[in-house]
Amino acid sequence: MSEVALLQSIGLCVVGAGVAILLFIKAQFVRVIGFVAIVLGLFSLVALAVPQMASLPPAEEKFDIATVKTPTDMAAIGQKIFFSKGQCALCHSIGPSESARCPDLKGIGAKLTREFIFESLTQPQAYIYMDYRHEGPPKEYPARMPYINKNPIGLSRNEILSVIAFLQQMSGEPITVNPSELDIPGTTPAPPSPTKAAEAEPMAVAQAH
Amino acid sequence: MIHQGESKQRPFRQLKTSRVMLSGLALAAGLLALPAFGLAADAPAQATAYRDIPGIGSRNLVWIVAQLHLLLAGFVLGVPIFAWLCEIVGWKTGEKRYDKLAKEFTKLLTSSYATTALFGGILLFLLIAFYPKLMNYLTDIFFPSFLVYCLLFLVETATLYLYWYGWDAMSEGGGKVLHLFLGFLLNIFAFFIMIVPNSWATFQASPVVISEGSDLARAWAATWNPTWWPVNIHRLIANVVLGGYICGAYAGIRYLAAKSAEERDHYDWMGYVGNFIGVFGLLPLPFAGYWLMREIYQYNQQMGITLMGGFLSWLFILQAMLIGVLFLGSNYYFWLGITHRIPGSEMKYRKPIMTMLVILLLCLGVWMTPHSLVASLEEARKMGGTHHPLLGVFGVMSAKMTVANLMILVTFMSFIMYWRAGKEETATWAKLAKAVMSGVLVVAGIVVVILGVWGYFVPAIVRINYFSTSQVLIVLFVMLTITPLTALLLKSARTTTEMVWGRMPPRAGYALVLNSVMVILLMTLMGYARSSSRVHWHIYGVMRDSSQYAFSPALGYAAAFMALNTFLFCMLVAFIFWVATMGDKAKAAGGGHPVKDTVPHGTVPAMAGGSHALDKQ
Repeated sequence: MSEVALLQSIGLCVVGAGVAILLFIKAQFVRVIGFVAIVLGLFSLVALAVPQMASLPPAEEKFDIATVKTPTDMAAIGQKIFFSKGQCALCHSIGPSESARCPDLKGIGAKLTREFIFESLTQPQAYIYMDYRHEGPPKEYPARMPYINKNPIGLSRNEILSVIAFLQQMSGEPITVNPSELDIPGTTPAPPSPTKAAEAEPMAVAQAH
Repeated sequence: MIHQGESKQRPFRQLKTSRVMLSGLALAAGLLALPAFGLAADAPAQATAYRDIPGIGSRNLVWIVAQLHLLLAGFVLGVPIFAWLCEIVGWKTGEKRYDKLAKEFTKLLTSSYATTALFGGILLFLLIAFYPKLMNYLTDIFFPSFLVYCLLFLVETATLYLYWYGWDAMSEGGGKVLHLFLGFLLNIFAFFIMIVPNSWATFQASPVVISEGSDLARAWAATWNPTWWPVNIHRLIANVVLGGYICGAYAGIRYLAAKSAEERDHYDWMGYVGNFIGVFGLLPLPFAGYWLMREIYQYNQQMGITLMGGFLSWLFILQAMLIGVLFLGSNYYFWLGITHRIPGSEMKYRKPIMTMLVILLLCLGVWMTPHSLVASLEEARKMGGTHHPLLGVFGVMSAKMTVANLMILVTFMSFIMYWRAGKEETATWAKLAKAVMSGVLVVAGIVVVILGVWGYFVPAIVRINYFSTSQVLIVLFVMLTITPLTALLLKSARTTTEMVWGRMPPRAGYALVLNSVMVILLMTLMGYARSSSRVHWHIYGVMRDSSQYAFSPALGYAAAFMALNTFLFCMLVAFIFWVATMGDKAKAAGGGHPVKDTVPHGTVPAMAGGSHALDKQ
């Protein structure tokens, strides 16, 4: 017997019991219980009559370096991180969106260097934007970007590089991040990723904005 | 006499409460021991993310306990609002029966409070035991608000004790004012007790990114998430509705079992007040729900689509059915009131009642029409898809918003009709006022329908942002215009037929029970919807559910659980109320005066704006 058939049988029994109580029992409170049983049984039967669709979780993605052969593989992983663990899509959109609370990231991979993106993710307060959208002198941009490499998000260096690869790919740019840069578990981590961008290319970034 | 009765009941009640708490703690301890037999033993080396129990499963157990706790909490937080309002009405009008009704409501509240806290404690233990990783994460973010919550519970409990046990001691003069102030504080604390945990639950559904900062700053940032306030408002109103209908059901059952005319009078009146409170909250509830849904769409369109167009879309057909039955049940109770409490009015109101019934049924039919029909391949080919050529038109939001608004209008008019029944307006401007009210109602109805039809021909964003909101505003305008106008009109009205309490047929009691069951089912259904809209995430987009229960069960299975939870809740409440009123029954059997007052025939419910002084003229 299928689960639905079993539940339908139980529902019918409950309704039947309720009807029997109303027919044969005089005690008011018991009669009310019978009435409630009929209502609940009918509700269950109606719910069992509509299409039964369960929502199954998608297969869990794991960052397995062995499967990363090309920059495109990295971008594919980066895309998944962007929309899940990285929580980027909670605030940022890719393309115009009414609900986005933070800057649209469409084409960001073309506007910013990978070094600057890396720094923006790991040291978000290193370079403060100025907000000109009001009267008077510009003020510091009010948005507060979290440290992506720290808790609660806590992306690893490999994951951040993958996100950068994704941002470059979806901007139509050649992916400059290479799988050879990834840290292999159990080995000495690669030299820290370039974080010099803020000093090296601030003018370029400012012009881009 | 009442004081003595109270003092006799008190130790008994305290003993009962202690027993309930002790048995609950024993149960909690037992439940906590169960995971030891489950998955916990499998992975002792690394941090445990989940634990399970054999048989029922951790998720199902949490589902039952959380649902019972939430329903009890809804009742406990909703009742003080109208108990306090009843007390104010009694204080202002000098009518003792309102004060006694408020006290009766509070008695139900006091006895439910300990059980609510008990289930809250069990739920907390279960969550810590079954979901340690998730709870650790939430504790890390919300730690300061946990402390605030504990503090609120302390002051709420102290205020409730003072409010309940000080009722008779603070019944006159300045003492009464102080008592009313305590009632006000009780509601304020209760409101905060509701919104603090709402922040935890809404953060799970609509998290915001937490930057570094102080504990307080992080907790505040997480608390102020996009769905927090829509849920706060929605729950506040829903709690009033739940409390009102449950008190109505309580009165309905007591009415059915009443032995004396005095009891029948009292519980008939109490049932009326309960239904009135329920309807009063029910009318604005869909608007709050609409706001919440809008915020969900704005926060994450995918989540909105999962709810309205994805695997949960059929859930909204069930929701329509439950709301429809609730509207019908509430209206039916009003109509029974008109035809039985006002002698000679059976024929007079038959026509408008039939008209309203037909409109309600038509609206319900449209609301329940699914967007896509369940069809075989052959049937789908004949229809040219899963959308029926005619019925498919009714399956979209434009039609559903329109009929929802029309049902609210009809229910509102049903209440107005009940309010005006048995009276004759004597004001010189009565004709003009009635013409204005009719005009407002007819024009509003037509405009709501026009906007609904027009909604098919404009982009969805225009419909959602402008048309649907306009429909809501129009209905609110009707309520805000007709209610004060009717109140003014009835101030000088002459009573032609006196209202007689205690003459309702038994089916009125069953209608009240039906309404309360519908509300409870609705809350369980929408709880499932809110939880399932997160799909396989504990915290949407942030922390994935990687347990074996990461799937959302199908509607039929979930509905069976909802029915079970509703039944358990009803039995629990019945038991609590039985214990709470045991002393009254013993006292009545012993020849003491009953606590309740007889409702004088001909009284107009003051809550509906009636004036007793004028009735006597």
